[in-house]
Order: sequence, then C-alpha cells, then structure tokens
Amino acid sequence: MAKTSSTTKDAQDLFHAIWSAYSATPTNLKIIDLYVVFAVFTALLQVVYMALVGTFPFNSFLSGVLSCVGTAVLAVCLRIQVNKENKEFKDLAPERAFADFVLCNLVLHLVIMNFLG
Amino acid sequence: MAVTTATPTSPPPPPSMAQDLLNSLPKTLKLKTKQQELLLRVTTLGLIYILAFITRLFSVLRYESMIHEFDPYFNYRTTVYLTEHGFSEFWNWFDSDSWYPLGRIIGGTLYPGLMLTAAALYKILHFLRFAVHIREVCVLTAPFFASNTAIVAYFFGKEVWDSGAGIVAAALIAICPGYISRSVAGSYDNEGVAIFALLLTFYLFVKAVNTGSLSWSLASAFGYFYMVSAWGGYVFIINLVPLYVLVLLVTGRYSLRLYVAYNCMYVLGMLLAMQIRFVGFQHVQSGEHMASMGVFFLLQVFFFLDWVKHLLGDVKLFQAFLRITVTGAISVGAIALGVGTASGYISPWTGRFYSLLDPTYAKDHIPIIASVSEHQPTAWSSFMFDFHILLFLFPAGLYFCFKRLSDATIFIVMYGLTSMYFAGVMVRLILVATPAVCLISAIAVSATVKNLTRVVRAKSQTLQSGSGKGTSASKGSSKGVIDNSQPFQKNGAIVLLLGAFYLLSRYAIHCTWVTAEAYSSPSIVLAARGAHGQRVMFDDYREAYFWLRQNTPPDAKVMSWWDYGYQITAMGNRTVIVDNNTWNNTHIATVGRAMSSYEDEAYDIMRSLDVDYVLVVFGGVTGYSSDDINKFLWMVRIGGGVFPVIKEPDYLVNGEYRVDKGAAPKMLNCLMYKLCYYRFGELTTEYGKPTGYDRARGVEIGNKDIKLEYLEEALTTQNWIVRIYKVKPPKNRS
Amino acid sequence: MAKLIFLILTLIPILCTSFSPDKPSDRRILVLVDDFAVKSSHSLYFKSLQSRGFDLDFKLADDPKIALQRYGQYLYDGLVLFSPTIERFGGSIDAAAILDFVDSGHDLIVAADNNASDLIREIATECGVDFDEDYTAMVVDHAGYAVSSTEGDHTLIASDDFIKSDVILGSKKIEAPVLFQGIGHSLNPSNRLVLKVLSASPTAFSANPKSKLTSPPSLLGSSISLVSVIQARNNARILISGSLSMFSNRFFNSGVQKAGSPTKHDKSGNEQFLTELSKWVLHERGHLKAVNVKHHKVGETDEPSIYRINDDLEYSVEIYEWSGTTWEPYVADDVQVQFYMMSPYVLKNLANDKKGHYFTSFKVPDVYGVFQFKVEYNRLGYTSLSLAKQIPVRPFRHNEYERFIPAAYPYYGAAFSMMAGFFVFSAVHLYNK
Repeated sequence: MAKTSSTTKDAQDLFHAIWSAYSATPTNLKIIDLYVVFAVFTALLQVVYMALVGTFPFNSFLSGVLSCVGTAVLAVCLRIQVNKENKEFKDLAPERAFADFVLCNLVLHLVIMNFLG
Repeated sequence: MAVTTATPTSPPPPPSMAQDLLNSLPKTLKLKTKQQELLLRVTTLGLIYILAFITRLFSVLRYESMIHEFDPYFNYRTTVYLTEHGFSEFWNWFDSDSWYPLGRIIGGTLYPGLMLTAAALYKILHFLRFAVHIREVCVLTAPFFASNTAIVAYFFGKEVWDSGAGIVAAALIAICPGYISRSVAGSYDNEGVAIFALLLTFYLFVKAVNTGSLSWSLASAFGYFYMVSAWGGYVFIINLVPLYVLVLLVTGRYSLRLYVAYNCMYVLGMLLAMQIRFVGFQHVQSGEHMASMGVFFLLQVFFFLDWVKHLLGDVKLFQAFLRITVTGAISVGAIALGVGTASGYISPWTGRFYSLLDPTYAKDHIPIIASVSEHQPTAWSSFMFDFHILLFLFPAGLYFCFKRLSDATIFIVMYGLTSMYFAGVMVRLILVATPAVCLISAIAVSATVKNLTRVVRAKSQTLQSGSGKGTSASKGSSKGVIDNSQPFQKNGAIVLLLGAFYLLSRYAIHCTWVTAEAYSSPSIVLAARGAHGQRVMFDDYREAYFWLRQNTPPDAKVMSWWDYGYQITAMGNRTVIVDNNTWNNTHIATVGRAMSSYEDEAYDIMRSLDVDYVLVVFGGVTGYSSDDINKFLWMVRIGGGVFPVIKEPDYLVNGEYRVDKGAAPKMLNCLMYKLCYYRFGELTTEYGKPTGYDRARGVEIGNKDIKLEYLEEALTTQNWIVRIYKVKPPKNRS
Repeated sequence: MAKLIFLILTLIPILCTSFSPDKPSDRRILVLVDDFAVKSSHSLYFKSLQSRGFDLDFKLADDPKIALQRYGQYLYDGLVLFSPTIERFGGSIDAAAILDFVDSGHDLIVAADNNASDLIREIATECGVDFDEDYTAMVVDHAGYAVSSTEGDHTLIASDDFIKSDVILGSKKIEAPVLFQGIGHSLNPSNRLVLKVLSASPTAFSANPKSKLTSPPSLLGSSISLVSVIQARNNARILISGSLSMFSNRFFNSGVQKAGSPTKHDKSGNEQFLTELSKWVLHERGHLKAVNVKHHKVGETDEPSIYRINDDLEYSVEIYEWSGTTWEPYVADDVQVQFYMMSPYVLKNLANDKKGHYFTSFKVPDVYGVFQFKVEYNRLGYTSLSLAKQIPVRPFRHNEYERFIPAAYPYYGAAFSMMAGFFVFSAVHLYNK
C-alpha cells in the first residue's frame, strides 16, 4: 500500500514538475501544442469509433486518421522549427518554416480529399 | 571528369607573375576560376547528359526503333490505350484480352508511373508541334530518364561528398552497364523511370535530413510517390529509410532534422502512395511496410521523451517518467501488432519478399518465382560484367565514407551495402545497386584523384611560392602525406594518376562494348553470326504475331507459355490465356499441365479454356536456346505444383533432361514435344548430321514420327522459331 | 391507305418466310443406285419423297459423270446411297467426298445389304456404325422372324423394337412390325452421336444362315442395330440401314405376322417407319433454330459491350422449329441459359410465351471476367442448339462505389475539422507573431 501511494505521489510530483516546466513555454508554442493535442484527440476518437463499428470504409477511416496524424506531425515539425531554443534551425527563418508548413498542409488536405470518398 | 577536378590548378604561371596576380587581382582571379569552374562543370554535365542518352541508342542503330523484350510490350500497349482513351478509361480499364477467361483489371494491377510519364511526354511533344508517334516516345523514354538519373546522381554526389564526386558519379552512372541493361532505347520498362525516381527520392531525403526543411521532405515524399507509381521496388525505399533512421537513432545521431525529414516524408509519402490503386492499403496492412510504421512510432516516442527530458532537466525525475511511458508504449505497440496480425489486417510477407531474405526460399516453395531468369541468384561474372572496375572501387569508396562519416555518408553506405546484398540474391536487383555503387565508387575516384593532384600540385606550389597556399584547405590526411614527403612522391602520384585514368578509360571502353554487344538486343528480333561472319536476323516473332493479327478471328484465344502473353496481346492483338503478369498460379499451372499432358488430355483442357490456337517457340532449327523445350521443365514443375498428376520424374531419365532417343516416353509424347518437333524429323538442319538434328540441344530427336490428332499446324515461321497450331473443333460425326 | 399499309405490314412476315433462304429441308437429292431397276422396285419410297417436294436425281453409282459439287458448290442437299454393292463410285466421288458432303451439313441415307461392299462399310464405319465383319453374315432370328408362306431360314425379321422418340418417328404409333432382311451392325461405343432406331430382338444374332454355327456370333441380341441414325455436330443427319429391301415396294405392301404373335397385320410397318424416318433425316421434323439472341440491362434495350458486376440483365432468345414448310414456335419448358466462366455461375430456366420467345432475367454475379451466355439444348431427335455469346464483366469503376457512406461520417467530420483547424490555427499563429 505504502509503495503504491508513494508511486502515486511520485507520479503527481512528476506531473507537477512537468507542468511547471511547461508553463514557461512561449505562447506561440503553446498554441501549436493545443493544436497538436486537438489533432491527436480526434485521431484517437476515430480509432475508438472504428473499433466499435468496424473498418468497412477503410479508406475513409485511413484518411480521417491520417489527416489528424499528418496535421499533428506537421505541427510538431513547425514547432521544432520555430522554437528558438533549437540551435539546429537557427538559419531557418520562422516565416520560411511557416510557408513550408502551409505547403505541406495543402498537399496533405488535397490528398485526403481525394482519398476520403 | 579528370579535367574538372584538376582545373582550379590551371596552367601554373611563372612565380613572379603569380605573385603579382595574387597580390593585385585576387578577387577577379578568384571569380574567374569560379566562373571557369562553373562553366566547365555545366559543360561536363551537359556532355554527360548527352552521352547517357546516345550510348543507349545502339539498339536503334543496330535494329530499328522498336519495343524490346516482353514486359515492355504490355507497357507499350497500355500507354497506347492511355493516349487513345484518356486517363479515366485507363484507370478503370478492365482488359478482357488477357488471362482469358478471368480478365485483368489493368488499372488496378499496374504501376502507372511509366505510362503516365510517356503519355505526358507525348502530349508535351505534340503541344510543341512535334508529330512523333507514341512508339518513338516509348522507345526513348528510358534513355531520357537515364540522362536525368545522371543529373540526379550529380546532385546526390554533391550532397554526400562534393561536386567533383558528383560529376564523377554522373559520368559513371551514365555508362554503367548495370543500369544500361534496363534502360537502352526500346527497353520500355518500369525500371527505366524507377531508378530515376529511386535516386531522386533518396537524394531529396538526404537533402531533407541535412537541412531539416519541410519542403525538401515534401519533395522527397513526392519523389517517393513517383517511385511507388512506377515500380514495385519502392518497397526497398520504405524499408531502407526506416532502417537508416533506426541506425542513426542507435548510433546516437538522432537529430530534430531527422525527425522532421522522416515524419513528413513518411506520412505524406504513405498517403500519396495509397492513391495508387495497385498499392492501396498495403502501407498499413502488409508486413513489408510495417518497419516504417514501427520506426515512425518509435520516433514519436523518442521525440516525446527527449522533449520531456529537456523540460524536466532532472535525470531522476526523467527516469521515473521513462519507466511509465516506455512500458506503456511497448505494451500498446505489441498489442496492436499482435491484434493486427491475428485478425489478418496485417498480411504476412509475400513470397517474393521471403526469397529476398532467403535466396533458397523460392526454389523450394514457389517455382513460378524461381522460373524467371531475372530472379536467379547473381553469378560473380555478371557482377564483373555489370560493374567492371566499380566492383573494386566500391570498397575503396566505403573506406572514404567511413573516414568522413556524416548523416549523408551513412545513408549512402547503407544503401550501398543493402542493395549489394540484394543484388547478390537476385540478378535483376543489380539495377538497384548500380546507383549506389556508382556513387560510392565516384567518391573513391574523386577523393583519390583529388589527393593525388593535390600532391602533384602541392609540390610545385611549395617549390614556387614556398608556402602551401593552394593546399590551405587540405585535410589531415593529405597534410600527413605532404609532411612526410618522399623523393618519389610526385612521380608516384603521377603514375598513380595515370593508372587511375587508364582504369577509367578501360571502364569506358568496357561499357561501350557491353552496351553495343550484349544489352542492345531487342530479343524480339534475334541476331546471329552467319557462316561467313555476317549478321543474320531472325524476325520470326513478329512474323508470327502479325500472322495472328491478320489471319485469325478477332476473338481467337491463343494459348502459349506465359512469357509470350504480352507480346501476343500487344502485337498479335489476340486474347491470351496467361501472360507475363503472373498473378494467378493456378491458371498458369493449367497451361503448364496442358503442355505436359498427352495430346488427348491436353485437348480437353484446351477445350475447357476455349483455346483456338497454340503457340510454341522452338529453337531447334536455329540453335536458339531459350525456347519452350528448354523452359519445359518449369512448365512441368509449375503444373505439378497445382496438379499432382504431373510429376517431374516422368519427364526425366535418371534425373537427366533429354529429348533424344533415350528420353522418357512421357516426354516424347507430351503436347509440347509434339508441337515443337512436329515434322522436324523430316528436316536436315545441319550438313553431315542426320535428319531431325536439334541444333539448340545438339542431339537427334527421339520421336521423328509425330502425328497430331486434335491440332493442326497453322503456321511455322521462316526459321521455325514460332510454330502456331490450330485446335481442331470436335469431330463432326463422333 | 392505312389499310394498305396494314396489309403490307401483315404480309411482310409471310413474304419473308416464303422467301427465306433458311429452309433446312433439303430439296435436291441425288440417288445413287446399282441398277435402275431399284427405281421401280422401290418406287413407293421415292414417290413419298417426291410428293413431299423433293427433287430426286437418279444416277448409276458408277456413272463417270456424277459429281457432288461443281466449282466448290454442292449440287445436292441430300444423298441416298441405294447401291450396296458398289466398289468404286464413278466420277469424282469417293468415301472422303461423301464424308465431306456430310461434314458440310448435308444429309445422307445409306442402305447396305448382305453383299455390302467395302466402300459402303467404310462410309458406315466413319459414321460410327460397324457392320458385321463376316461378309456372309445376315441377321437371323429364330424367335422373332416374320411368318411367311415358305418356311425360310428366318432371315426375314419382323422387328418392333423402335426408338422411343416422337420427334424421330412421328407422333403416330407404328402398329405393325417392320420387315427387315439384311445385315446387322453395332454402334461404335466411343461415338456418342449415333442412335439405334430399330434394334433386333434379344433372340437375334448375326451369322451366315447357310452354314452351321461353328463359333459364337460376334453380334448378338438387342445390341444388334438394324437401322441407325446419326445427327452430326453440324446437324447433318445420316440414316444407315442394313437392308435395302426394307425400302422396297414388296416389303411396303406385304402383310406381316411376327412369329409367336397372333395378330396378323395387312400391311407391314415399313412404309410408315421409313417415311417418318425420312422426314426426320431430311429435316422436316425436329429441326430447331435459335434467333434473335438478345441481352441487355433491365430497363434498356441496347446490347452493351460489357457488363458490370451486379448488373441486372435480361436475356432472351427465340426458338423455332421447322415443320417442313414453315418455322413454328417451339414450346418447351426445359430450355436453360448459363452464365458461364469456366463453370456456370448462373443457371436459369427460360420462360416462354408460347410464341417461341424465351426470356429470363438475372443478376450478374459478383465476379468479373469474360463470361458467356450459353444455351446448350440437346434433346433426343432435335437438332442441338449450342449458343454461346461472349461478354466481359468488369468490376466497378473507381467512381461507381458508394460515395457517402453513413458509417464514415465521423471520418469525414474529422478530416474537415482538421482542415478548419488548420485555417484557424494559421490565423492564430500569424496573429500571435
């Protein structure tokens, strides 16, 4: 019992620590994070729905989920690129990063539209 | 190529002049050499571009502008259909002329990239008012893409090493026999554009990894899409790239650039690939593609952990976190994979894939794969034949790559090693290995020549100006060489340089010779040397196919071994029972069974398939060895694999395959034997030999008195290479 | 005016039938005889043919001027060989020519006799009938012989073992037995087209009546066929009889009493039997034709060049029977159509409207490939109908699948919400910068 409670406490500590560390993130990154969470959440919802009703329109399912996954992944990529802490992307202007991001998203959504029906 | 690397040295000016120039006009001179270099580089590339194209035109000069071999005829036929009926009809084309009576959904069972490319070229040319025939476009597609491949190789080489290596790579790949074998004019096959797409994808991916840019990654996803649309070999990319990512992860070279490049490329590439009907859902269902998905998830976990670690900045806390997440992730992954496999959503690996990992697999389990000559394990001689000196430069190049390890060189090394392994397993995968071998060899050549010229040049420079100014950029290795300068070093370097140039010129001569002699044969027109050394052409195939087109009813069904299916539908315009798209083993086995049965049994099978004509290829008169009698054991094996009544030992005598008097009785009376040797017993093929002497096998045949009851001879071509028989209708009165 | 048009319209079908070249009954028949005496001794049989409109051309079998065809055109529609002893035909005719004649769709009546030549035997053998190899043998029946004034050697047989087929022998029952005197034959077991029309009784055997039996006869009992017919695959019909005399006026007119039977018939069954049989052989009965094979999707009238899986289609065919003068609707309820690709995927009985129009409708199976509409109608005595019409069946096109599936709405929603999310996010992201 004691062990469990200590683990729980550890976990609580852990999440507090993470949360406090996270609060320091700049707002624009937080917005991206929110966006990512939204996408991942939608993807999970669809997986649950698929598990309930079966995979019949498999292409629709795939396009639905992949649209979320793609969005999330692209957003994470954008987040990496605009994050000033990442020294690797010093030469990459945020505007350029955002333009790339928009381009990729356009492609993603066009393909999804083709694949959906 | 040698000129380019040596150019910056230019003619060595007298010492005082040099000093002057260096002092007074450093900027102009520098600019000038740069411009010169650029000019030279562009000119060289242009020459390579043209060279790559024209070296592949031997076949057109020797023969004529025609489509080669077997599969290209199908591609040609579909391209013609595409240009005539438009994309929508092509995409939904249900072809009732092949695989009678099953038919084939062409649109859903081919890689459309090649046809779309050729049709697009055709449209562009017509838009520019060049009234070319679609056949010419098809014939020249492969050389055109070979030229483009050379350019991509240049950029790839530049990205991996430097522009010198790039130019050498472009030159090497332009004339490398391993690549030419599949890209001569007329060889209108998927590989022609696929190698371009493969190299482009790899190049763009490496570029994306190096820059960490989303747009390069997107470009590589498109490259991948093109590759998927062009050739089944895309599986190589979708496995090599994750493997590469994994290796980087393991060796601690993980970077955010890699994360961006791989994720964007994977997700978009996968989505794009799913638009190809033939590939469809394989990316999420087939075992061959699971590696990439696994790596994708692994990368997410890795990134997440890295991020949390960064956030926490505390090792202890992080470890606690790690415990929770890692156990969670692993169990979730294992459950998902287990459920997927058990419920059948994830299909197991296919036979072709197994045979790649285990070369003996196909031989034991899938005769239809093993029967294709392209799927045989590679002999050393063909490595030598296709790579020549590259085979020796390859390890040297690997050495240089390891010495200057970077993300890009790791990639090229992995590409080289894995593709070399696969090339050893299957002859036709030499093609995949060729670009890697060329690139790595180019690194070796370029690095060696550069070092050597540096030695030569450094000596003169030290003598003249007293300072190693020209070698200021030299790396540790060359510096060491210069420091320990020995008296004969310069001469030695010159000798080595000359040796290198000699080797390279031998390579060029070898390549030209191979292209001219070995790889330019269309195999639909056969060439041989006559008794007086002159060229003799056998145009029997086309004679037979045009006969079919002109003299048989339009809905006639032709049975032949599957090798000739595409040609019959494309040139003879008749329905075939089986063709080169070997998707239905049972159907092929039925044909194999008919060919290896007695005539009356075969007749029943042929009636049930509504066969009107039977076509066999026979080389006994001309000595053409890849005829149906030599392929016959495969028919027996494939037929026997499905119908156990056909037993291979029945056709062999003491395990030996023979057609003379000592042959097995079943062999002497099976349909294939009868059709090939019908009336052959009356013929004298060679002076001083008895009648019925088979020149392809060098024996006198064992059954000269062949009577056909259910079939009748319809056509035997000039040199007896193709023989066509008509299946008689059932007897009127019995 | 309208009346006139109506008249013409009603007349058109009649005119058409009257001018129709597609009349299966033969009109010109070559009769080859050994001796012109046969012409008079068998005149009743010939008269019955002539009275039905046949144009008989009598020639001696060894006449050097006889020919079956000239300039590649056959001069006759039928051939009667009443020349059992001929060893070599005159002119250009030989066994192969006669078989070619049959194989190109013409009819043949062959009568052999106890002195039948090798040539006649060869023709018979090629048609799946083997006469007794013993040249001296005749069919003898000590139990089923015909009672006559002189107690003979029992080679004159009264046989009443007919094939049970109204189509071949007519609907009127043949009451009197048929007189037969000649040689017997057996049917080649590998030939599935040949039919025994008149077989010998179980007590019959084939042997030389003049000599004592030394070994068991090779042909025995009811396996002996006296008269056989063959309908070839191209619907040419052949009659082979082991007796020429059964066609003669003498046999036609003589009374008959079978041994052991109390009833004595004033007139033998020969005339009825052989006349009815000749009607069948010369296609005045039992000849079917199928025309107007049509198939189309339900609700359409044009025949498509390709079907799609799961299409509903209608298939129809018209079947007529030749009555000797006109085409009459054929009525039967056992005509079936198969939708066939290596094996029948659909097998349906065709309904008919009693006017010769047969039709059905069915759904194309969920399998693509090259299918055939097959009607294989083989009934005893009727010409075999074998209709095969090839039609490919394709799978759905990419835009023929259902577009909006209710079960997939959440996925659509997700995809569109992602798109919306992208716009919102872009706006926020840019604004926030």
